[in-house]
Order: sequence, then structure tokens, then C-alpha cells
Amino acid sequence: MIRALGPGSVSSFLKVILDVFYVVLWAVGLIFAAVIVGLLLISFNPQVLPAPVLVHEIMGHAPGLSAAVRLTGAEVSLIGVLIIVQRLRKVFGAMTAGDPFHPDNVRRLRVIALVLALIEINDYVFGALDHFVLGAKIPTGFSLNLTAWFAVLVIVVLAEVFREGARLRRDAELTI
Amino acid sequence: MAIRVYLDRILLERRMSLTELADRVGVTIANLSILKTGKARAVRFSTLDALCRELNCQPGDLLVFEPGPPDDDAAAEELELEE
Repeated sequence: MIRALGPGSVSSFLKVILDVFYVVLWAVGLIFAAVIVGLLLISFNPQVLPAPVLVHEIMGHAPGLSAAVRLTGAEVSLIGVLIIVQRLRKVFGAMTAGDPFHPDNVRRLRVIALVLALIEINDYVFGALDHFVLGAKIPTGFSLNLTAWFAVLVIVVLAEVFREGARLRRDAELTI
Repeated sequence: MAIRVYLDRILLERRMSLTELADRVGVTIANLSILKTGKARAVRFSTLDALCRELNCQPGDLLVFEPGPPDDDAAAEELELEE
């Protein structure tokens, strides 16, 4: 029988996966940051890399800057995902310890919902910036991702469920 | 809290220690301390039954209602969760 809580359970297995994912995300984030800095430096001196006509067509008039903006948008999203994964690791850590209704989990879930919403908004903002300000020909991030917004709602509801769970847990602790 | 627990007074009258009562009732000393200091949210009937049996008293001797402001422990905890 597979257990959901405690050491050796599904939660502990998922926590290990999240730990690995967290380290990988940090590495990807650092690489992205380095590439963004490089692209910004190139954007000051576009002659270094002669931009072909196709790139102009796709990326607009400032290919280096446009790519940097896109990557910055991705980097901000990545930071959001890092925050989410970090909170998720703690939630699964509490579950592995056999205490899913720890009061801190309520705050963690609320942060996850908030960051998820901010990641979606970030996509719209950077997509608009790229398209309207920098003149990129390919519109990016303008499709309304209903799945993400639905996930935000579900996590908000889940946070409330955990809040009630934390209250009941406290009641049980103080029942003699 | 408006409900006062007079466990310490009864223990004094019976010349019984908290440890001894905990052993007899089968409740941990930590939990009895929570009850004694009035921090408990609820008391199981089974615990009350055991306490009354071992202390040879009535529930009314242990628990007394004293009119006053309502318990703000729950509200404080809600605030703690809200933060």
C-alpha cells in the first residue's frame, strides 16, 4: 500500500524530485541571466553580429534588445517558478514529516497562487512590451491561459481548506 | 476564557501531584498542564470521566463558568494564520 504522508511515502518521493528540479532551475536561471547580459551588450553594438533579414522580420528592428526583453520575461517567470518550487518543497517537507496541516502551509499555498498569477501577468506584460514597443512581428503571450488561471483559483481554494485544516489541527492539539 | 478550570485547587485539596494524576488518568503531564492553565479548547467526556473518578469530584467542581469577555484565543489564532 502506497502511503501519502511520512518518510518513504509519495510525498517524500515528490520532495526529492522537487529538490533536483530546484537545483536545475537555479542553473538554468543563471545561464539565462548570463545570456541576457550578453544580448544587452550586443544590442548596444549590433554590428558585432550582422542580423539577417529574417531575424529583422521576426524580432523587429532591434533583434538583440528584443531577444533580451523576451529572455528577461522568461527570467522573471523562472524566478517565479523558483519561488513556487521552493514553497512546494516546504509543503512536501511538512507532508513527509506527517504534518500536512502545518499553519505555515497556508501561507505557502497563498504565495504559490499569487506567484502563479504574477507569472501569467508577466507573460502578458513582456509580450506586449516586445510586440508594441520593440516591434516584434510574432505576437507572444497574448493568449489567455485559462488553465493557469483555473490553477490559481484551485490553489486559493486549497489554501482555504488548509487554513481550516490548520485550525482543526490546533483544536485537536488543545483537546484533552 | 469564561470557563475556569480549578484543577490545581482540587489537586491541592486531595494532596495529589500532577504527575500522579497523569499516571492515574492516562493523560500526559503536558496535556494536564494545558488543562490546568486554562489553555485547553475542549475536554473529552472520557477524560472528564477519568478525572472525576480519580479526584472523586463532580465536573462542576473542576469547571466553573465565570462571566467575562469571550475567549479571544481563537480570534488571535485566526489573525496568526492571516499574517
